[in-house]
Amino acid sequence: MSTCASFAVADFKSDLKPIWCPGCGDFGVLQSIYRALSAIGRAPHEISFVSGIGCSSRIPGYTTAYGFNSVHGRALPIAQGIKLAHPELLVLAAGGDGDGFSIGGGHLPHAIRRNLDITYIVMDNQIYGLTKGQLSPTSPRGLHTASSVFGSLEDPVNPLLYVLGYGARFVAQGTPADMAGLSTLIEAAIRFKGFSFVNVQSPCITFGQPDQQLKAHKAGMTSLASVGHDPTNRIKAMDLAQAYGSTLYTGIFYQDPDAGPTYEEAVETRRTQFSGKPIVPRQRILENFIPR
Amino acid sequence: MPQVTERPKPFLFPEFCKGCGRCISVCQKHSIHFADHINARTGVVPIEIDLDTCNACGLCMDACPEPYGLIGRPVDATDWELEDPSHLFGHRPTTAPVPVDIPDQRVALPACEPLVVKGNYAAAIGALLAGCRHFFGYPITPSTEGAELMASLMPKLQGVFLQAVSEVATVNHMYGAASAGQRSMTFTSSPGFSLMLEGISYMIGAELPGVFVNIMRGGPGLGNIAPEQTDIKLACRGLGHGNTHALVFAPSTPQEMLDMTMRAFDLSFRYRNPVVILGDGYLGQMTGRVMLPRDMVKPGIPAWAVWGDAMHRRNLTSSIMLAETDLEQHNEHLNRKYEAMKVEAMADTFVCDDAEIIVVACNTPARMAKGAVQELRHMGVKAGLFRPQTLWPFPVDAFLPLLAHARRIVMVEASPGQLEDELRLALSRADVRTYPPISSVQHFGGILPQQHEIVTRIMDLPAGSHAQAVSGSEVLA
Ligand SMILES: Cc1ncc(C[n+]2csc(CCOP(=O)(O)OP(=O)(O)O)c2C)c(N)n1
Ligand code: SF4
Ligand code: SF4
Ligand code: SF4
Repeated sequence: MSTCASFAVADFKSDLKPIWCPGCGDFGVLQSIYRALSAIGRAPHEISFVSGIGCSSRIPGYTTAYGFNSVHGRALPIAQGIKLAHPELLVLAAGGDGDGFSIGGGHLPHAIRRNLDITYIVMDNQIYGLTKGQLSPTSPRGLHTASSVFGSLEDPVNPLLYVLGYGARFVAQGTPADMAGLSTLIEAAIRFKGFSFVNVQSPCITFGQPDQQLKAHKAGMTSLASVGHDPTNRIKAMDLAQAYGSTLYTGIFYQDPDAGPTYEEAVETRRTQFSGKPIVPRQRILENFIPR
Repeated sequence: MPQVTERPKPFLFPEFCKGCGRCISVCQKHSIHFADHINARTGVVPIEIDLDTCNACGLCMDACPEPYGLIGRPVDATDWELEDPSHLFGHRPTTAPVPVDIPDQRVALPACEPLVVKGNYAAAIGALLAGCRHFFGYPITPSTEGAELMASLMPKLQGVFLQAVSEVATVNHMYGAASAGQRSMTFTSSPGFSLMLEGISYMIGAELPGVFVNIMRGGPGLGNIAPEQTDIKLACRGLGHGNTHALVFAPSTPQEMLDMTMRAFDLSFRYRNPVVILGDGYLGQMTGRVMLPRDMVKPGIPAWAVWGDAMHRRNLTSSIMLAETDLEQHNEHLNRKYEAMKVEAMADTFVCDDAEIIVVACNTPARMAKGAVQELRHMGVKAGLFRPQTLWPFPVDAFLPLLAHARRIVMVEASPGQLEDELRLALSRADVRTYPPISSVQHFGGILPQQHEIVTRIMDLPAGSHAQAVSGSEVLA
């Protein structure tokens, strides 16, 4: 099914001009996604890209993939529906930290344990951008925002630890401050057979903290390779993930060397088991109903 | 001769069998089988016992997990009769005192100059003056300012502000706070209101108060963030599943945002039912002069609150009623409450006394409609404005007298006729079979009907049209 012709970065750019604030980290994420997709080599029409709602969730519109801005917090259920309806598609899901860990937080563990071959990219800016600067689930304790006027009273979610704890088979973190690195990570995530999660620290220049901008990322980021991390070691990955919020580690935290079948493969196996014969490809599905 | 004590054979009151079949599998004599009918009171198939083959071994009675399920029937009791356990044992004894209402107090406010504030702020201030000290919400444009004002004021007023993780969480936080008899509210907008409906249904079922300010925006789906009035249907007819209703207010000025929010809290507690305030995106953002009331409320604690002290020990809030008869009675009680709420219907009229053309509008479109009516009066057209301030119940009693001289009804709304549907339903319920033809000026998608459109629409109406049977509506979209 999959094409392997070569596609340039430009092939994945849509005619829409991004309306993010100048300097928003999401521009870098978008560039990295273009690069990763061109390295993968699937035709744009074989890619489905869905998001929730938020500034970051605008991202599918800026690509030539099929996809849309869906419902706040529901990118993952919709992505799963798409993947199950058409498993040959390359399915990407994306959104913000509010979208993914607050209102949509309940969907994440189940997407992970179900293990469909979907790549989920969260643009984590520790703030609600689109609604103009309220507390997000990854905002640090004490942060002053429009909805935490005297400082937040809540501990932030640690998304890396969360997903590792939920049993995710592929977990990575990047930043648009290192676009080459981020492209490679997204590419690896897409190539990974199973649910893959990439947390991107993507600064909000308008409402984010001044010390969490690209400049600070550039100065402070530490690649996991440079600290000699073995990405097949989940416990070590969890250990390093505890630095979320203090040290910005980039790279693959965990990649299951023996990830097992995806959900859609298991569905296929079950079908074969019941029908006793191999599944008719979708193009010939009508033959099932036409007596010979 | 050795004495044989006869063991009791099993007995079952079918109402207490949950049909699990455990007894069937333990019976070595195969004396138990499922009945061939469904028990009408429980909706499940109970078991039946063939006492002729039963040897009274008692295994089934041990196996039955139901406290009032299979039991041994005393052998010697000839006139023995099983009864409902609550009849046998009565209510659980309690030494808790009978709870009484700790009444609200009114505290005089010093006189002050009018404020000039946005509609959303006015509603937030109204809530604070009504004694609301629990705010839960999830950011959503165009309602967020209300929540943000609460975030900056609540901590200073010994209150609680919590940004929930979603609207689903919001409504359930409100459920919890309301159970404790506390005044709680939220600000939201259409997509968020959709998510709250499940919880609102539960709150209505459990008879819990709470105030929901929905600043309506364009839909369906994500739509946009511009003003619309397309949640009228949802608020009046679709508050989640089951037999639900709530008072629905439709303010059209920042002053009404404040006044109606204050009133909403009073009524929410009076009727023990949520109250919905429907604003539109424009009204939420619009700045206006707002007079503060003369006094504010220091809430007491209602007798029904699950307040967690000795006096409230016997209270319970719940919407679960498994027995059909109980649930039917509960719904009859809710219906009586809904009926009683009808006295809260409110409407405002503007030059309607001799009006031949009745313009009907609420929220911001009512402001355009009022301008149009003024303009038409200058042109010598006898137009008047009828502005429902409550949408449920619809103020039909205030509307009926206007029909005496009305020749046309013109609906002005930022929705495809949801207000018109409420009017038509109210007329139908009031047994009004003939009324003047209804025309309408409608816009959707975030565009509000404009004054000149309303005037043009009315000037274009066929001259001297008389009252006639219900006609199809003519729409200017
Ligand atoms: C049901 C519902 N509730 C609330 C909103 C309003 N809303 C839109 S985006 C958003 C959060 C944005 O934050 P995040 O997901 O972190 O993305 P960012 O804008 O920061 O990229 C909210 C609350 C909505 N669209 N739908
Ligand atoms: S508000 Fe923040 S997240 Fe949204 S586009 Fe601007 S910089 Fe980016
Ligand atoms: S008492 Fe023993 S024999 Fe009789 S029905 Fe119960 S299990 Fe069967
Ligand atoms: S074990 Fe009790 S509840 Fe279960 S089927 Fe038998 S009598 Fe009914």
